[in-house]
Amino acid sequence: MNLFGVLDINASALLAERERAEVVTSNMANAETTSTPGGGPYKKQLVVFGTEQPGQGKFALALSRFGDLHARGVKVERVVQDNAPPIRRYEPGHPDADTDGYVSFPDIDPVEEMVNLMGAAQAYQLNVSAVQATKAMISETIQILT
Amino acid sequence: MNWIESPTMQRLEHYLDLVTFRHELISSNLANVDTPGYHTQDVDFENEVRRADQRLEDDPVSPHVREVKGLIERPDGNNVSLERETMALSQVQLQYRAGVELLRNQIHMVQSAINEGK
Repeated sequence: MNLFGVLDINASALLAERERAEVVTSNMANAETTSTPGGGPYKKQLVVFGTEQPGQGKFALALSRFGDLHARGVKVERVVQDNAPPIRRYEPGHPDADTDGYVSFPDIDPVEEMVNLMGAAQAYQLNVSAVQATKAMISETIQILT
Repeated sequence: MNWIESPTMQRLEHYLDLVTFRHELISSNLANVDTPGYHTQDVDFENEVRRADQRLEDDPVSPHVREVKGLIERPDGNNVSLERETMALSQVQLQYRAGVELLRNQIHMVQSAINEGK
């Protein structure tokens, strides 16, 4: 892998963290959603990260100087649905109320989601600095002959 | 021996290779800062530089990658420390710049000889 391969690793993290932020904001936006196309209230989604072998074409492999590649990118392995039971609130006037007058709301804690969003934003920023470091190294190499 | 195969040039090449390799590992650690079960990877840099200088000319560089011990593991099994990685990132950047600067120096010396010192 060369420095451009490192950029791919950095980019994989940006992509994964953005997907995480998307899922978290979707949770926050739907904290009060009581009806979904599938029926019932919105269910909280959680992302699970996993490592990813960086993409390697034959060309990249031929250029690679190290037989054993250890560096790994990251990807969203899967998005799981949190199956916690909904919170039931007594709101008889609500269109989604059941016969007893209770409405099922998703069990989403805005504080928890906010912390998760901050975590994603911080990790994103961190990997942007890594991209900048890689870019600086590449442009220094280009300037060797000037 | 021509100038591009001089021992200095070759040592600089090994050095830059190793710095790049370490940068890869640090990038991988930073990318996987939230991946459950991921462990911090690194190389023993000084040792590897010494090893690279001793090996034969055309051997490929194959540094020993080790998992870093002594870091606090979070409940999800991940032990990446942001502080350690950001420090290592700036260290690697400076080391790379130093290597490139020395390489430029070598090339400029040859250029100066081509231009008869003018």
